[in-house]
Amino acid sequence: MSRRPVLADVRDTLLRMLPHRAPTGLTAIGRPGRDAPVLVTGNYALTVRRLRHALMGRDVWLLVADSRGINVWCAAGGGHFTHHDVIAAVRAARLEGRVDHRELVLPQLSATGVERRRIEEATGFRVRWGPARSEDLGAYLERGRRVVKRERSMRFPLRERLEMALVWGWPALLMASGVSAWLVGWRAAAGTALAVAASVTGLYAAVPRLPLAGRRRWAVFGAFAAAGAALGGLALIALGAVDVRQLLVVVGVVLVAVAALAVDFEGTTPWYASALATAGHARVELAPERCSGAADCVQVCPRDVLRMDGRQRKVVIARPDACIRCAACIVQCPEDALRFRFDDGSLVEASTIRRTRLNMLGRRTVEVPESRV
Amino acid sequence: MGSFVWMRLLESTAQRYDRGIGLLSGGRMADVYRRIAALTTADAFSPRVLDIGCGTGGVSLACAARGATVVGIDVNAAMLEVAQRKAMRAGAAGPVTWLELGAMEIEDRFGPATFEAVVACLSFSEMTPDEQTYVLEVARTRLRPGGRLVVADEVVPRGTVRRALYGLRRWSLALLVYALTQTTTRPVAELPGRVRAAGFLDVVVERMWGDAFCIVRARAPAGSGRADGAHAAGARGADA
Repeated sequence: MSRRPVLADVRDTLLRMLPHRAPTGLTAIGRPGRDAPVLVTGNYALTVRRLRHALMGRDVWLLVADSRGINVWCAAGGGHFTHHDVIAAVRAARLEGRVDHRELVLPQLSATGVERRRIEEATGFRVRWGPARSEDLGAYLERGRRVVKRERSMRFPLRERLEMALVWGWPALLMASGVSAWLVGWRAAAGTALAVAASVTGLYAAVPRLPLAGRRRWAVFGAFAAAGAALGGLALIALGAVDVRQLLVVVGVVLVAVAALAVDFEGTTPWYASALATAGHARVELAPERCSGAADCVQVCPRDVLRMDGRQRKVVIARPDACIRCAACIVQCPEDALRFRFDDGSLVEASTIRRTRLNMLGRRTVEVPESRV
Repeated sequence: MGSFVWMRLLESTAQRYDRGIGLLSGGRMADVYRRIAALTTADAFSPRVLDIGCGTGGVSLACAARGATVVGIDVNAAMLEVAQRKAMRAGAAGPVTWLELGAMEIEDRFGPATFEAVVACLSFSEMTPDEQTYVLEVARTRLRPGGRLVVADEVVPRGTVRRALYGLRRWSLALLVYALTQTTTRPVAELPGRVRAAGFLDVVVERMWGDAFCIVRARAPAGSGRADGAHAAGARGADA
């Protein structure tokens, strides 16, 4: 029946950095009745299309809230998608008159900005966290809307890493080869294009294994830039255009392109903590005396950092090194038991994290107050 | 200024917002806030005013300076903190309360017929059409009979030449702001029509700034403040 709009997918993928708005409101997938589940998402056009595809053949309601045309993860982290938007979507759709149940399924990756309990208080709808990725929605619904642990953890498969290489690589590629062509001609442009494409693709392909902690990060970027430049040099030789000026241009342009990506390569992946974020050096800390074992944090962590200690009825921070400091656990904790602690000992409590969001440079938009504990 | 798409850039740092918007409007924004406040507070002596999407409080404080008791609501806590600091510096004449609350959540905090006036400046352009309709309906029930509604926002100019000029300025700015903040603004369509459709009376429209900004004022019908419909049923009463 419905073919995927391939051209639109390609366009939206290439322009992923820009917002693409889908219409907001309640839409039917299949022929949902008054008991059909309601899945909430943001109005990023690519996401909405992918969800329709993932849910093909099922009967569900899709409630598209206003995330300003940005994907759920980035919008929630940046303050463009909050519980206010979900409450607004529920009310604008007059949802209580259109379904008989009182339950919403929220994307897990919205947990950095969408406070579950605020929606429940305002709308009377109970909120469940769905899986982190849309392709798991089918299995999730068949299981009776229960997430299994594997579906909570972020995955970043090769196909998506290459997609990100394309997203970030093509503008760099265009500019870099343009500069080279203008400076020293088309052969250098071809060499530069190959060099930039190789470094960027190589970096994203290697993501799960890149050691980006501390000073080693610069060695990693340097190595990929050098490898790319070497490839570009070989291309120059193959094209019969070996002269020092051309070689220098290729090396120079590749260095600039990789350096630009290195500013916050981590932040373009769901795998590493952003290199720019204010909380870059903070660690998530648990105040065990406050923890009530509600385990909201375990449900929303996309990196499987937190575990429930069944005997103690308390949460433990089991894999601190995997934390990407998205703060979803801090935002959702009903007892304010989680917080950020910085290297200098200062604390940022949950109330501050909830009030502030990351702006485009990864800065919290309100100043971090002094420790109160 | 032609377009308010710059607001996105400014809002990315709340502290910069006021200086930026003052600069971009050539200092005219303060006059517009005062004009909006004058229209909002014209009918009653020390009225209770609800400012929807108050941001850094430009309109709220202008209303307070005219003796109004104001509740400013916004979903952006950082903007509210700036508003609060400004209010303390200005020593606002009437008391102002700042609340982190969405426009679609007004009924959760305020009962029917709570306000003499409801004002919204540059916040309807943030809402989807469905939300605008909903908020106008809620605003009507929260107003006392005959209460004042003032909605000011960016609109698309009439006339081909003006529209083309507006489009040109808007898109050149929009690309830059898109690149930096990944967001933009949209002009509001059919604002006076929506206000009328929501049951308001005596709708008057003022246009300014190359026809790209408009202030719509209207009056709630007598008796509109009674507990009619679902919104009032959901209210938990005024607790602000």
